[in-house]
Amino acid sequence: MTEAVLSAPVVKPAPDRERLAALGFVAPSVLIIAVVFVLPLALLLGVSVLDSKGGPTTAHYVRLLGTPYYLGVIWNSLRLGLLTTLIAFVISYPAAFALARARGPLRSALLATLFLPLAASVIVKAFAWTILLRSDGLINTVLIALGIIEDPIRMIFTQTALIIGAVNIFLPFMVLPIYAVVAQLDGRYAEAAATLGASPAVVFLRVILPLTLPGIIAGVALVFSLSVSAYVVPTLLIGEKYPTLATTIAKAYLLARDPGFGAAAGVVLLAIAVVVVALSTLLSREPK
Amino acid sequence: MMTRAAIVVCWVLAIGLALFLVLPLAVIAAASFSPTPVFDLPLSGASLRWYGRIGRLDGFWPSLFLSLQIALLSTALSLVAGTLAAIAIARGKLPGATALGTLLVSPLMMPGLVLGIALLQYFRMIGFTATWSALLVAHLVVTLPYVARTMIAGLSRFDFTLIEAARTLGCTYAGSVIRVMVPALAPSFLISGLFSLLASFDNYPVSIFLTDVRSKTLPIRMLQYIEEAPDPTLAALSTLILAGTLVLLLISDRLVGLHRMAGTAD
Amino acid sequence: MSEAAPHLVISGVSKRYGAATVLERVDLTIRRGELVTLLGPSGCGKTTLLRAIAGLAPPDTGTIALAGRDVTHVPPHRRNVGVVFQNYALFPHLTVAGNVAFGLKVRGTPKAEIDLAVRRALALVKLGHLGGRRISALSGGQQQRVALARAIAVEPDVLLFDEALSALDRKLREEMQVELRRLLQEVKATAIFVTHDQDEALTMSDRVAVMNKGRIEQLAAPRELYARPASLFALNFVGLSTRIAGQVVGAQDGMVEVVTPVGRLSARGAFQPGASVIVATRPEQLRLGADAGANSAAGRVRSVVFQGSRTLVDVDAGAGASLLAELSGREAEVPRVHDEVRFAWPVAETFAFAAEAAP
Ligand SMILES: Nc1ncnc2c1ncn2[C@@H]1O[C@H](COP(=O)(O)OP(=O)(O)OP(=O)(O)O)[C@@H](O)[C@H]1O
Ligand SMILES: [Mg+2]
Repeated sequence: MTEAVLSAPVVKPAPDRERLAALGFVAPSVLIIAVVFVLPLALLLGVSVLDSKGGPTTAHYVRLLGTPYYLGVIWNSLRLGLLTTLIAFVISYPAAFALARARGPLRSALLATLFLPLAASVIVKAFAWTILLRSDGLINTVLIALGIIEDPIRMIFTQTALIIGAVNIFLPFMVLPIYAVVAQLDGRYAEAAATLGASPAVVFLRVILPLTLPGIIAGVALVFSLSVSAYVVPTLLIGEKYPTLATTIAKAYLLARDPGFGAAAGVVLLAIAVVVVALSTLLSREPK
Repeated sequence: MMTRAAIVVCWVLAIGLALFLVLPLAVIAAASFSPTPVFDLPLSGASLRWYGRIGRLDGFWPSLFLSLQIALLSTALSLVAGTLAAIAIARGKLPGATALGTLLVSPLMMPGLVLGIALLQYFRMIGFTATWSALLVAHLVVTLPYVARTMIAGLSRFDFTLIEAARTLGCTYAGSVIRVMVPALAPSFLISGLFSLLASFDNYPVSIFLTDVRSKTLPIRMLQYIEEAPDPTLAALSTLILAGTLVLLLISDRLVGLHRMAGTAD
Repeated sequence: MSEAAPHLVISGVSKRYGAATVLERVDLTIRRGELVTLLGPSGCGKTTLLRAIAGLAPPDTGTIALAGRDVTHVPPHRRNVGVVFQNYALFPHLTVAGNVAFGLKVRGTPKAEIDLAVRRALALVKLGHLGGRRISALSGGQQQRVALARAIAVEPDVLLFDEALSALDRKLREEMQVELRRLLQEVKATAIFVTHDQDEALTMSDRVAVMNKGRIEQLAAPRELYARPASLFALNFVGLSTRIAGQVVGAQDGMVEVVTPVGRLSARGAFQPGASVIVATRPEQLRLGADAGANSAAGRVRSVVFQGSRTLVDVDAGAGASLLAELSGREAEVPRVHDEVRFAWPVAETFAFAAEAAP
């Protein structure tokens, strides 16, 4: 679309009715996003550089970016995001191809398992994982019964539990965008490449991977931004031991009543998200 | 050889993925029939007592109604506003349509908790203290990006000459939208409606900063129950919601096909 | 109502998009039952004119009258036109029969009548057995027929085809050209057919409108268009030709004497002496040998292309001029490459066009 607009001869367009109608169409959405999203975030930016008396200060950022503890907190968030995204991607990408080949009731069943978890509250699912991962929980019981381990492994309130839970909760957001692209992949491209003498590995690297890249970018960006800022999952599955930016923000607002600091932590988290959005937009832009 | 092995790996991962996703749901369902207040698996019997208790949870009904109201209303409003915006963006009659699209979709990737505290301060500053309305507009920001994302993707694949064809065959403009565009976009409508409903109904990080003692949304109530006295009542409630969603999914599969819905979810 | 009565009258229609003039004072009158083709290069405004007639892109100025009614400002759904779109624009969520019934349904036609009309329309395009099929389960040719059936089912005052056959392969396209022609005569439809394929235009139509840069350059029956092109553009766009540049040295009674690199030639045309012109003729007018009272030129054969019933001979006449001759298969003597030959052609079939108009 943009291509066509750009390549059309440069003419001064008359203010036509279609354009006015289009403006009217986007107006409500833009208004909502501007007033209830952009403005509050701008205000947050302001609050983050105010001290408790309302004077300007950089103290919150200095504290956040200058103390090892808070640098560790930031790293914890990033680590959670990176690990969750990586694992989710490694599972989802190949699985999406199988999903795209499935037909009939099998396809419906597999797809239903992607949609259904969205209906269970994150809180309840996280709680289900605490049941599963307990020392006397299902997983330990099964592992012992199978003779794989002798004594129960401690999993709950460990990073393993955190990552398993986070992957489980955010997986559908990785699979769905990739599936949407893979399902539309025209098998003829791969065939054409093969007739041109490309080996399966080359076909994959040169044809399939580039063609599915938009789905990968969408899934990775979504899962990373969701998991880096997850709040319920770390709270329920690991607790105080693994402080993240999200839990720090919540504590600053709900317990410590330190909005300036909470706002600064929020701005840092926001900045991470903005980088993700910017990167994904940049990467998925069609090459000119 | 190599491709065959790759296909096997794909299938194993797909089946494993499905089981992994269903596992916690199965645990919830099983726990809801637990005869004792502790979730012991395997179950030592079955009981429906927790289902009977759902309605007697402290503050359950007001929270359920509040969450339902907010979810349904914000989804409906987002569907209208988001679809209109997507039409304008997909038709490309606007300068900077792509950037506008990014703006409308971006809240999806912004940390909910940060939006929550930002809104808390913002509403306080402009003196907007009505909890219900504050929740509603905040949830619009949660739901609108889902609709905008799905509808822009769906509409950019929609062939607008179908509208012209319908018009030359005797439909008014509005008539052709209803008769041609709506059916073609039904999967996108369904999936974005479903996603926004669930996103709003399950939202915790934004709502937590906007509710007061008297009006708590269901997820906030649920976390409170879990922290105060965890018993299988919540599992029973979740199982009911899951069963309802399963029915919705079966109907959607019959009507438009889950693969068409999933295919538009990019 | 007489067959010859004007049925669609387009007068002075102009259309601009921004600063670009896409249609410029187009006049076109089409009789009832006539099939007119709009022929022209890409971007010349064919689709825009069709959309103006359908009401999808109302003209800035000018009027359009259809079946005795001024429809210039009537919205598309009240015009009673039938359009077959280039990509067919079939509704994917409806069956074949659902697509064909669509127009009648929105008109509120009683169900029994709709069923009858759908059956008739599908039988007409020989798809009576596929009514229940989904659109996605049809071949390209079948989709084309469904689109046609959908358009004729509402018994439109005019049928509009925008490159309706261009997506089909060559063999199917040629079959459809003949069949469509027969079918349109059978239902006595008035039709406008947009194409940039000259063979299609010549095969299908009663008259051809050659369009260039938003104007109609010539409107004529296929035979006349070929034999008497009104402009260099029309000459170039339809069929092959020999073209030689030169200078007018004498003019009299609609004939001009032109000095060219291949010698003095006579041609039909009205120009002042001194004017730069292009002298042109059709290849089948050229005959081997000299002929008193005819134009003639000599040169060396550059290539000979055998095409079954005919042979094309390209001759280098020197000074950048070349001759293109088409010899029928019956001609005993066909020159070979590098032969020195002389060709002659009748003065009455030689035309002069203003040189500036060369594209
Ligand atoms: N909606 C529009 N906005 C701006 N310019 C347009 C629009 N529609 C058509 N044009 C321009 O008008 C000119 C004529 O377009 P039109 O589609 O009528 O050409 P056409 O003769 O049908 O060409 P083709 O054979 O390629 O289909 C083109 O230069 C095109 O770019
Ligand atoms: Mg065209």
